[in-house]
Amino acid sequence: MEAKEQTKTTAVKGTNTARKVRGLVKQIFQSAHEAKAQGKKVAYFMVTSQYDEIVRAMDIVPMPTENFAGLCGAKRDMDRFLLKAEEDGYSQVLCSYTRIGLGFDSLRREMGRIPENSPDGGMPMPDMMLGSSAVCDPRFKWYQAVGRFHHVPTYSIDCVAPSVHADLNEVRDYYIRYQKEQFEGLIAFLEKQMGKKMDRERLWEAIRLSEKAWRLWYEIDRLRVAVPSPMPAQDHFSIMVAGLYYAGTQTAVDFYQELHDEVKDRVEKKMGVIPDEKYRILYGGGLPPWHTLWIFNYFESFGAVFAIENVYRGSDPVEVPSHVKDPVEYLAWRTFLRYTQRYEKAKANSGNPKVEKLLEMIDDYQTDGVVFHACRSCRAMTVGQIHMKNLLGQHTDIPMMQLVSDMVDLRDYSEAQWKAQIAAFIEALAGRQAN
Amino acid sequence: MMTASEQVEKLYVERGKRARELRKKGKKIIGYFCCFVPDEIITAFDMVPYRIQGSQSEPIDQADAYIEPMACPFARSSFNLALKGRYDFLDGFVAPHSCDTIERMYHIWLHNKPSSFNHLINVPHMLGSGSTSFYRSELAYFIKSLEDWSGRKLDPDRLKDAVRLYNRRRALLRELYELRKTDPPQVSGTEITRVLVAGMGIPAEEHIALLERYMKEIKVRPVPKADKLPRIFIWGNEIDDIAFINLVEESGAQVVMDDLCTGTRFFWDDVPETKDPLDGIAARYLNIHCPRSNVPQMETREKDLGNRYGYIGQFVKDWGADGAIFYIVRYCDTCELEGPDLREYLNSMNIPVLMVEDDYSTSTIGQLRTRVQAFLEMLG
Ligand code: SF4
Ligand code: SF4
Repeated sequence: MEAKEQTKTTAVKGTNTARKVRGLVKQIFQSAHEAKAQGKKVAYFMVTSQYDEIVRAMDIVPMPTENFAGLCGAKRDMDRFLLKAEEDGYSQVLCSYTRIGLGFDSLRREMGRIPENSPDGGMPMPDMMLGSSAVCDPRFKWYQAVGRFHHVPTYSIDCVAPSVHADLNEVRDYYIRYQKEQFEGLIAFLEKQMGKKMDRERLWEAIRLSEKAWRLWYEIDRLRVAVPSPMPAQDHFSIMVAGLYYAGTQTAVDFYQELHDEVKDRVEKKMGVIPDEKYRILYGGGLPPWHTLWIFNYFESFGAVFAIENVYRGSDPVEVPSHVKDPVEYLAWRTFLRYTQRYEKAKANSGNPKVEKLLEMIDDYQTDGVVFHACRSCRAMTVGQIHMKNLLGQHTDIPMMQLVSDMVDLRDYSEAQWKAQIAAFIEALAGRQAN
Repeated sequence: MMTASEQVEKLYVERGKRARELRKKGKKIIGYFCCFVPDEIITAFDMVPYRIQGSQSEPIDQADAYIEPMACPFARSSFNLALKGRYDFLDGFVAPHSCDTIERMYHIWLHNKPSSFNHLINVPHMLGSGSTSFYRSELAYFIKSLEDWSGRKLDPDRLKDAVRLYNRRRALLRELYELRKTDPPQVSGTEITRVLVAGMGIPAEEHIALLERYMKEIKVRPVPKADKLPRIFIWGNEIDDIAFINLVEESGAQVVMDDLCTGTRFFWDDVPETKDPLDGIAARYLNIHCPRSNVPQMETREKDLGNRYGYIGQFVKDWGADGAIFYIVRYCDTCELEGPDLREYLNSMNIPVLMVEDDYSTSTIGQLRTRVQAFLEMLG
């Protein structure tokens, strides 16, 4: 069967709730600016560092610097920051989020104020910076490097995961002990900055809220197994804002509750993202191309919808043993359990927990193909994709493809090349369906 | 009998040859990446530690089917050699979690080219006492895994012996570096690279014996007149080939001191001889000065830079460097983030800096010649 190109449409038939995310993003920046005006403390912060609830419990207003970088990409206002960082000596292949952050801070110092018309008002001057080794290397080096532009108290923590082949019974205790120490170190630092003790009950409350939000988010994704697909990947790339940037707040819970109701309703009414769903695609991984999100609509014009994705909601809910009574120890346990979630399964099968997750998704969401996005400047989420693709190929014969660009740096993107690749991919999907 | 220099040259060129010979005699060869896998532990098991290297002169022609091109070319090149069967002589493959790329590489390597023994050591990025004891636990787990695999218990006395053995080698290497302080240095940067790389794939006793002979040879060489050429300190990551340093020296400079994964970084500090040898080993290895580790912040920017780079400041003073060249292997995020900070520090000492980024390939190194020459001219 030949894939006939449908008329390209920009009308994303996503969820209504996802459209509210723009407000949530604006609110991040607005709250931070207001907090500064009221003398509250603002912290540069790295998402999914497992410490979100601690920051909330200490009444610190988080300013996620990666989010600002993504926002610049989405608004196509990144070049002035990227170029400034490069002028300051940072390599053109360094993580582009980091380059945007450094470029912004450098420009602010040079101009003595926030660069004009910065997206959503730009980032206010932080009172402190909190890095972490969770996810990637730049996330603890970045704030150290920012010290060149403003020297504010900076603290980073380790987030450790054992190798998949480690005997978890041998290593569990000391991994959790170290993780807990890392959190305690952060708490001591924050207590000093804030001049007050952390209220452990408030920490429990923040944990309770974030668990609730993340469980709802998980359930939303479970609803998405439905055919036709009720919510596309483009929505996922918006709605992750609640889970990542609002973890530990009622806002996130309310948001996901509303989204859950809407998605459930769409499933019941069999309302699909596109009227004629021909192919269901798994977004296999990599940060999204913020500069060119319409590409997902382009896929839709061929009847292909992205049913589920392997990025941002990094883990499914975990059960921390009930003997854990201290909230910090709870966080340490949770970190360990999240990171080692599919280890046993991987040992018994492909050897790779990420591949196990993808195989589950291919199965549960009945996907016909997999698309990876390689970002030239994000090693952490990119290196290993080809390997995953190779491993997946030993377990499934569905077509797979890797698109290459960057999350924000447009210099690494070629529309013509993508379109050619997509055409070939759609053909492979069609060919497979015809058989 | 070959002179020590000839032997160094031979070992440098015929990498892995000695390890293969030893293997034939029944020795187990354990390959590892980077500076965070203690040689002492492997040696105490009576096995031979082998530092895995890439090849700057061979194109990366097979790895693309397994790993993305935007990963560190040193790691990719090493893996490329493995794919071609050049590391088939390894009985064990050990990677520390030094950076994102090495951690990913471990799993890719393991899947496609498994050794009989495979192990990943987690290395904390943060420094402090909690981090040291975590890393110590990881080393204890590494020992346990080696015990399980080899069927032999580690004898703590042999670990103590190994600590002394490697401290002896470190002392000799520092002595060799002393010979770089004169004008001109008694031993060139190119020669130093050769002798260091030569030692990375042979037992420590053999390297020690070689170093002793080598130094004797050097010391009796006729002393040339002072040449007043610019003296260069070199900073970066993996330089396991003479090409770049040779280019700098050929362009009219003396490379007199370094902070490289393949230079002082791997041998400068001794392991303290603690009651439990693992305590000293963990403390020493975790505190290796590497951009992948995070030194806790100090109160002011100035103090912070001093705390991070004081040892480099000392190197530069003691070896009388006039300028610094940073050779950064492309895609190494931590080095790329570190470079501008270190440049700021060195500039504050009035040391000019040239930062270059390269693909870890002799074919691209040539393109750096003009920039190096211009820099050296500026130093005068
Ligand atoms: S390297 Fe990737 S994961 Fe790390 S900060 Fe940059 S974009 Fe985020
Ligand atoms: S050079 Fe950098 S990226 Fe490459 S292995 Fe070393 S630390 Fe990792």
